[in-house]
Amino acid sequence: MILLEINNRIVEDTLRQKFDNALAGNKPDSVDITIADFDGVLYHISNPGGDKTKVMISISLKFYKELQEHGADTLLQREYGPFITSTEQGYDVSLLFDLEAVPADKDEVVKKAGLLKRNCFASVFEKYFQFQQEGQEGQERAVIHYRDDETMYVEAKKDRVTVIFSTVFKDDDDVVIGKVFMQEFKEGRKASHQAPQVLYSHREPPLELQGTDAATGDNIAYITFVLYPRHINKNARDNTINLIHTFRDYLHYHIKCSKAYIHSRMRAKTSDFLKVLNRARPENNVKEKRTITGRSFQQRN
Amino acid sequence: MANTLKTYLDAVRASLEACLCLTTFPSQQVERHNKPEIEVQSSKELLLTPLVVARNEDEKVLIESSVNSVRISLKIKQMDGMDQLLAHWFCRFLMQRAEQFIVLRRKAVDGFDLSFLITNTNLEKMWKHKLIDFVITFMEEVDKE
Repeated sequence: MILLEINNRIVEDTLRQKFDNALAGNKPDSVDITIADFDGVLYHISNPGGDKTKVMISISLKFYKELQEHGADTLLQREYGPFITSTEQGYDVSLLFDLEAVPADKDEVVKKAGLLKRNCFASVFEKYFQFQQEGQEGQERAVIHYRDDETMYVEAKKDRVTVIFSTVFKDDDDVVIGKVFMQEFKEGRKASHQAPQVLYSHREPPLELQGTDAATGDNIAYITFVLYPRHINKNARDNTINLIHTFRDYLHYHIKCSKAYIHSRMRAKTSDFLKVLNRARPENNVKEKRTITGRSFQQRN
Repeated sequence: MANTLKTYLDAVRASLEACLCLTTFPSQQVERHNKPEIEVQSSKELLLTPLVVARNEDEKVLIESSVNSVRISLKIKQMDGMDQLLAHWFCRFLMQRAEQFIVLRRKAVDGFDLSFLITNTNLEKMWKHKLIDFVITFMEEVDKE
């Protein structure tokens, strides 16, 4: 199955183009792009103060406050260090790139810029993975409302970390397809013993969340991932974070793709049926007949 | 499974061949109108007894005929939520294109998934055996899916 890309292509391409432009010695152009990403995240690429030699990339996440509680700032400092600058008005984090001093490892920098959203999320996960590794228990659950009706809960226990997603299906049909998907995920353990355990609950929040104000309803589903130490250790950690933070988008994307596929199959079937039906019509030969005197007339049905 | 399908379809075919003997019949209520009597149901004498050919509880065909029209309703086998969804979508898809399909009815009869309406005018334009072939092929294909 296709995995969604975790970096933002547009941000990467724009930045790369600007760097290459500057290195080639061309005059820099002005840039002002607003980009939307999954989960209501907005990027803004601009020239601060009209200075074309400087490119600022800002990101706005509706739930940045919650991420800040879990140390998003420190992680971003670690990743982007010299590039972090004072935040643009209306956004949550801003990075400033100087085109006159293009950094030596520019490809790395470009890649990192594309991963800005992922790094914002990463802080929560890394914190809880750390808790589990150190064996700390009893830490508060992390609650992130990354979408209007949807929440993510992260909790660290002694031997595992559980990540619970709540997701809303706007369409009733989606609920059925979602269920089928989740069946497959649950059985993922049969395919590979390394796979984390997945639990699915429709309508009701799972046992861990009972008693909190977690939403209930017909269109709501809860998906729980149980991550074990082998997913959380230093080697696997980055990959795990990459995959898990886009899970909800991945699920909905694939539901939509399945629906589109079914639609195209139906269309093909329909045209087949039409062909069969048209075989039932006899050919309409326009028979022209003539009388002896030479007058001709056509048979009309 | 395949065995019962064949006998089922043969039974349906035989019933259709018997019922599809239609002739034009101007309306007795309104002058100069020619309506499909099975839809209008204006008078008891023009309607024949409805006939159900059932393979099992979930799969059946209802054939209601009258002097100038026949209504064939199908119930497709749906075993679980996914099947129900697919059947529902597919039938809705087809019914929206009923105009192209000529003999398809825009709404299915209550309790069934899909309905055909064949009138004497349709039979004048199309071969009767080919039309029956169409219905049978349809049922076969849907069963395969």
